[in-house]
Amino acid sequence: MSDYLSITEKEKQEMLARIGVQSTEEFYQDIPVRMRAKKLNLPEGKSTQETCEFMEGLSKLNKVYDTVFLGAGCYKHYIPPVVKAITGREEFLTAYTPYQAEMSQGILQSIFEYQTMICNLTKMDVSNASHYSGATAAAEACLMCTEKAKKVLTFDNINPDTLEVLKTYLAPRGVKLIISKTKDGRANINALKKVEGVGCVFVQTPNFYGLIENAKTISKVVHEYGAKLVVSVNPISLGILEAPGDYDADIAVGEAQPLGMDMNFGGPFLGFMAAKKDLVRKMPGRIVGETVDHDGNRAYVLTLQAREQHIRREKASSNICSNQAHCALTASVYLATVGADGLREVAQSCASYAHYMATALEFVGAKPKYSSEFFHEFVTVTPGKAKRVLQALDNAGILGGWLLNDDEILWCCTEVLTKEEIDKAVSLVGGVL
Amino acid sequence: MAKLFTNTHEWAEVDGKSVKVGISNYAAGELGDIVFVSLPSVGDKVSYGESFMEVESVKSVAEINAPVNGKIVAVNEDLDAAPELINQDAEGTWIVEVELDGDVPADLMSKEDYEKTIK
Amino acid sequence: MKTLYEISKSGLRACTLRTADVPAYSFKRGLIGEKPNLPEVSEPMLVRHYTALSKRAFGVDDGPYPLGSCTMKYNPKIDEYAANLPGFTNVHPLQRSDKAQGSLAVISTLSAYLLEISGMDAITLQPCAGAHGEYTGLQLIRQYFLMRGDKKRTKIIVPDSAHGTNPASAVMCGFEVVSIPSDAKNGVNMEELKKVLGNDVAGMMLTNPNTLGFFEKNIRQIQKQVHAVGGLMYYDGANLNAIMGQARPGDMGFDVMHFNLHKTFATPHGGGGPGSGPVACKALLQDFLPNPRIVWNDRLGDYRFKYSDKSIGKVTSFYGNFSVMVKALAYIVSLGGAGLKKASEIAVLNANYLKALISENYPTPANRHCMHEFVVSLEKLKEETGVSAMDIAKSLIDNGIHPPTMYFPLIVHEALMFEPTETEEKESLERIAEVMNELYKVAHENPDQVKSAPHSAVISRPDEVTAARKPILRG
Repeated sequence: MSDYLSITEKEKQEMLARIGVQSTEEFYQDIPVRMRAKKLNLPEGKSTQETCEFMEGLSKLNKVYDTVFLGAGCYKHYIPPVVKAITGREEFLTAYTPYQAEMSQGILQSIFEYQTMICNLTKMDVSNASHYSGATAAAEACLMCTEKAKKVLTFDNINPDTLEVLKTYLAPRGVKLIISKTKDGRANINALKKVEGVGCVFVQTPNFYGLIENAKTISKVVHEYGAKLVVSVNPISLGILEAPGDYDADIAVGEAQPLGMDMNFGGPFLGFMAAKKDLVRKMPGRIVGETVDHDGNRAYVLTLQAREQHIRREKASSNICSNQAHCALTASVYLATVGADGLREVAQSCASYAHYMATALEFVGAKPKYSSEFFHEFVTVTPGKAKRVLQALDNAGILGGWLLNDDEILWCCTEVLTKEEIDKAVSLVGGVL
Repeated sequence: MAKLFTNTHEWAEVDGKSVKVGISNYAAGELGDIVFVSLPSVGDKVSYGESFMEVESVKSVAEINAPVNGKIVAVNEDLDAAPELINQDAEGTWIVEVELDGDVPADLMSKEDYEKTIK
Repeated sequence: MKTLYEISKSGLRACTLRTADVPAYSFKRGLIGEKPNLPEVSEPMLVRHYTALSKRAFGVDDGPYPLGSCTMKYNPKIDEYAANLPGFTNVHPLQRSDKAQGSLAVISTLSAYLLEISGMDAITLQPCAGAHGEYTGLQLIRQYFLMRGDKKRTKIIVPDSAHGTNPASAVMCGFEVVSIPSDAKNGVNMEELKKVLGNDVAGMMLTNPNTLGFFEKNIRQIQKQVHAVGGLMYYDGANLNAIMGQARPGDMGFDVMHFNLHKTFATPHGGGGPGSGPVACKALLQDFLPNPRIVWNDRLGDYRFKYSDKSIGKVTSFYGNFSVMVKALAYIVSLGGAGLKKASEIAVLNANYLKALISENYPTPANRHCMHEFVVSLEKLKEETGVSAMDIAKSLIDNGIHPPTMYFPLIVHEALMFEPTETEEKESLERIAEVMNELYKVAHENPDQVKSAPHSAVISRPDEVTAARKPILRG
């Protein structure tokens, strides 16, 4: 058994004597006898070595694929080793939330730099310090816009988990979620013309099917109707595609896992949220600001805290307290490591591989479902054979795309792939068709 | 024009149908450095005794209750850029102007009576 | 210290990438944006920048961290090792469940252990943090009454000593919060509780031990009375580190609760997150847990996902903060049942020892043994010397000790809340006490020295007023 304790039995006796009790049992005298726990029915504690072996054993029950064509909200990208070398430092890992500014300037400055990078990436004015995931950031962004006009319009082409989380979060607040059906895979903003009292429109671009939405037109119509535009973006795509600020979005959110985070079976990931300046006091979560100390030196602090639960309690803009700070650090280090040129190269490679593969798949008979521009994900149609396609790839140790239904597969390509891997996968698909 | 006070630390300066509203020196002192005033919109209806806006300090938020019934006709926009004006002179800084609906509530107090309540 | 942007020089790079070996795809002109403005630095510059930042931060590995309510215990290195195994990090959440049995086993095993520790019947590990757990748990309560067609239950009772997340979570779930006063000696005020109980009460949120570090002696009566009017009991698991193996929320009469894996189960706080806030409940609420749940299929001998129509839905993407779960599992596996009980026992011992060493100068609200944390009031010290709880807290920084939680709970004036956890050794507790007692003396002799602290930190006290009046939120 390991226990990480540093107190000897002799010291324990000395401490008990100083406190003036016979045994630690006396501390628990307020717990009613009938509520006392029986001995916990858990396995005996393992040695350090056995614990490692046990966890290694569990990890080996998972299949790790060398070649991955699965995205759908979680992406395998190249992570430069310097990212983990930095983020693994214990001071970052084992620190608490930086409430004590004098002792936490390093954490605070790293968050300030994160906010700056997210603002520059999205071309928005202000960013918070992080949210649990792209899905919860989306839900809370919609809540920011629906205090008065209690309707959110979205489309059936957004990430399904995000859609589920929107449903969960909006209903208890009396906000109605209208899900508009799409035909050619892209949002049809005319849907907005048929409903009144919409607080915000929530759009994802590239959307779940990888297609790039016509954000400029959407934004124009949304604002004509007096609603706000909340847009979810893949941050890697911003290395090459237009940013939410370019098309006047009111709030930009998204899942920043692609910025240096492992797939990790789905978490921890990183929800980011950036907005126009006038929405800052409605934003949920921590925000770091720059100020000076009493001697006039630059200093960073958690600011605008009167929005938050520890001060405003039931009137807070959100209940969020712990966030995903260490993931935000990871994203900042990743962005600074690759820089603007590197991010563009990553985005370009993703797009190039995806388009190469889409063309190659079409050549062997897996037709593209949609005709509009896509980023690094796309849908193919192989009537009745989608499952067999994925099984054939799996048999070869390749993780194929996401099975949408019996006919359709959502594929993803990133910069970690090679032409050889794609060619091999395509030929296996061709073998099935 | 004499100011009338509420037991929740607002003051009202009544001039015919026009009522200027602010908070007492005592309330401003208790709040400490005010960092933000969330001004309501012109046209909003307010009801006596009910909260219609907030002022924030670094570590607290205070609700401001309407001292009369009526409709907001003006807000002091100087407070957007300089909320500290309230700290400098709370009883000389109006926050909103309300067009009075009905009578001035009978339980508003004179400054003298109000100051007895905060001792 | 300069920011990354201030050291940035055009043309520098901290990594280079392989060029794709397929034709470069060109997007239509109208879709392409300008290159984003990101820092341009070399790898050595990047590493030195972040190393300098890390030296301006303070973690559990750096020294004592008696931050009340936060359970800043040591984060074992094998837990990090386990979470970073490639067999966990390189697994896609949507790969077929038969190819992810290791991850599902982690979730399922940890689930079973948490249920045993809490005395509950069913669990989800999806919530990402304590507040997210509260939110999820309250959604279960909401769904329970909705399914019964009981629409009048709109109220959640929260004591005024509760964590701020409690009322905020209740409102996020569409409930109205009824705050009831509690006193610093005896916890929840039973008379006040009776006044608000009725058939409009959906439930009550309680943390036990409470935020003063005392066990709620009246817990049996409290839960009986809330249940008698048809309400449900929610347990805020923030203070679970006090009672592992001693008492279980399920046995105390709670219907639903959250855990904080980043507190009780030793996963690192990461400068503010990620945490993990599993939610466990009694059988009456289990159908409403978030989708999907993970179940063992006995016939086929493997773990599967299970979806329920009655579920509240999803509260985040995929299955929550998985790698935090790996760390918590490694922790529980290494301690075992007896180890967990001992961890709680030593956490309580340490808190009582520190309390005994400083209580002469820093009185607690009641003359009782505390659990894993205790609150002192500096009201008298402030009257005598003008030195506040904040001043003492800031002076601790000069002594290499992270300050305790300040000004919480709200019902104690000039409060400092200490939670040394089981991690501290005896000498470390004695040093905290020595510094605290010395500061008491200095406060009387030379109050200005304490009021102007810290003196040795990288900054003196920051101007928070200007930060909030004229926010500068990006570089």
